[in-house]
Amino acid sequence: MPISGFDDSTRERLSALADGELDPAASTASCAAWGQDPQLRADWHAWHLIGDVLRSDDLAADPRHDRTFSARLAARLKAEPVVLAPASLAGAVGSRFERPSRRGRWTAAGAVAAGFVLVVGTFAVVRPGDSPPAQIARDDVAGAIMAPAVAPAPVTEVSAQPVAIVADNKIIRDAQLERYLEAHKQFAGTSALGVPSAFLRSATVDSAAR
Amino acid sequence: MLLRAFVVLALSSAAVAQGAPACSQIVVAASATAPSEMRAWLLRIHDAASRHNFQGTFVVSGGGNVASARIAHFCDGPNQYERIESLDGRQRRVYRHNDVVHTIWPANHVAMIEQRGMLSSFPALLQAGDDGIADWYEVRAEGSERVAGHEANVLAISARDGLRYGYRLWADRASGLLLRAEVVGERGDILETSAFSDVVIGIRPQPETVLSEMRRLEGYRVVRPVLTPTRLEAEGWSMRQLAPGFRPVSCVSRQIDAAGDAGGEGAAPPVIQSIYSDGLTYVSVFIEPFRAARHAKPMFASIGATSTLSQRHGDWWVTIIGDTPPATLKIFAAALERRKP
Repeated sequence: MPISGFDDSTRERLSALADGELDPAASTASCAAWGQDPQLRADWHAWHLIGDVLRSDDLAADPRHDRTFSARLAARLKAEPVVLAPASLAGAVGSRFERPSRRGRWTAAGAVAAGFVLVVGTFAVVRPGDSPPAQIARDDVAGAIMAPAVAPAPVTEVSAQPVAIVADNKIIRDAQLERYLEAHKQFAGTSALGVPSAFLRSATVDSAAR
Repeated sequence: MLLRAFVVLALSSAAVAQGAPACSQIVVAASATAPSEMRAWLLRIHDAASRHNFQGTFVVSGGGNVASARIAHFCDGPNQYERIESLDGRQRRVYRHNDVVHTIWPANHVAMIEQRGMLSSFPALLQAGDDGIADWYEVRAEGSERVAGHEANVLAISARDGLRYGYRLWADRASGLLLRAEVVGERGDILETSAFSDVVIGIRPQPETVLSEMRRLEGYRVVRPVLTPTRLEAEGWSMRQLAPGFRPVSCVSRQIDAAGDAGGEGAAPPVIQSIYSDGLTYVSVFIEPFRAARHAKPMFASIGATSTLSQRHGDWWVTIIGDTPPATLKIFAAALERRKP
């Protein structure tokens, strides 16, 4: 299976691999491509990060941790002597593969990203002028992640050190802050405009990811 | 849906960082309405929502982001019913019967049931004429405009100091129903808009459609946030001074982590939430034990009409959220005092 740069079929196979739906031969080819192409590697990481965030707040870790960990692991692996070649897995787990119906779930980066933003794009802050944090993805992938938010959610930072998960100086979110915000909004009736307007307002804008 | 309205709040970061309360008075050219008239306006807006049956599309927007919902409101004597269906993003439905609010996320089969006692507390304050709103805000009638197909009276409410935002309200001339509201920043910039894009007032009430949905919870994981009333002093805290115009309205002890996502670290310690209101806007002060894993960095930011401040206070972590300028939160943060170890 020739890997010719960064085409759609390569990404589609990588997507299937992420879902555990690729047959062993294609997996090998995909992993080779993944190993060689930094862009594919960035996609791979971004898709998993998106998946993690969708599954749980607690998995929504700062992408820097992943990056540092991966870099250190790669360096350590490089230094390790090769002891043996792994045996083929084909016989043991072959039956798990090849569920083509769900293939391509992660290929449409835009669509995936849209879901991502709709679930999590709420209350977060940017650190303008901060040193660029981990590149969780190529710029255009990060762009796709933020694109459905229409505008890059401008925020004026007033003082130092906001807590935020930031990719390419664009906002992802802060799950903890959302919960405070949600708790705050439950008292919308405290305002004179309370019922209905403040209640309708807070009920229309969903800020908690559940 | 989840998108919040984001708008740049053009604040001088230097001024606020130095802790100087920005005292930019908003200059009002036209003569202001008398306090009693302002109260009458607000009461009329408030009453309209509990006396009329209406249905429409409600849109909250700012900074290029929009969240919209389909809303139906019914009255049946003293009973209030509401059905709110989000039109953007993840499916979510909110049902209200008086103080009981059900929020349902059909996709992950989660239903949250809340008892929101605060929903009806304010009018008493207004009726008693004890609200003090006129001390901190100035109201002007600004003629009429057409909103969502209805002729509306326009009301401009401006803050008398830099510790709160202004508002512009459009109330239906016939019913008094609030059709559109804007939160206005210190420089006249619009921080957030919420408005009906279309609304029909005077529809036939169908409260049973709301009640039947509220009874249909089988198959859902039901989450019931528990709020235990308390007092700041009883918890070992006090506020040396309040931001001018604000008074305490409520204090509860509660869990802040969404149920089921504690991540195996056991039940998180309860958080104290103390709420202060100036009559039009309000501030929440959250206090909880400091946990290094969760409370890494102090934070101070403004997004749209909402400001947030988080910082450590000895062995405690304090988060203050208010629909106010950031300077207001600083006053609360500085006044908070631990009375017992």
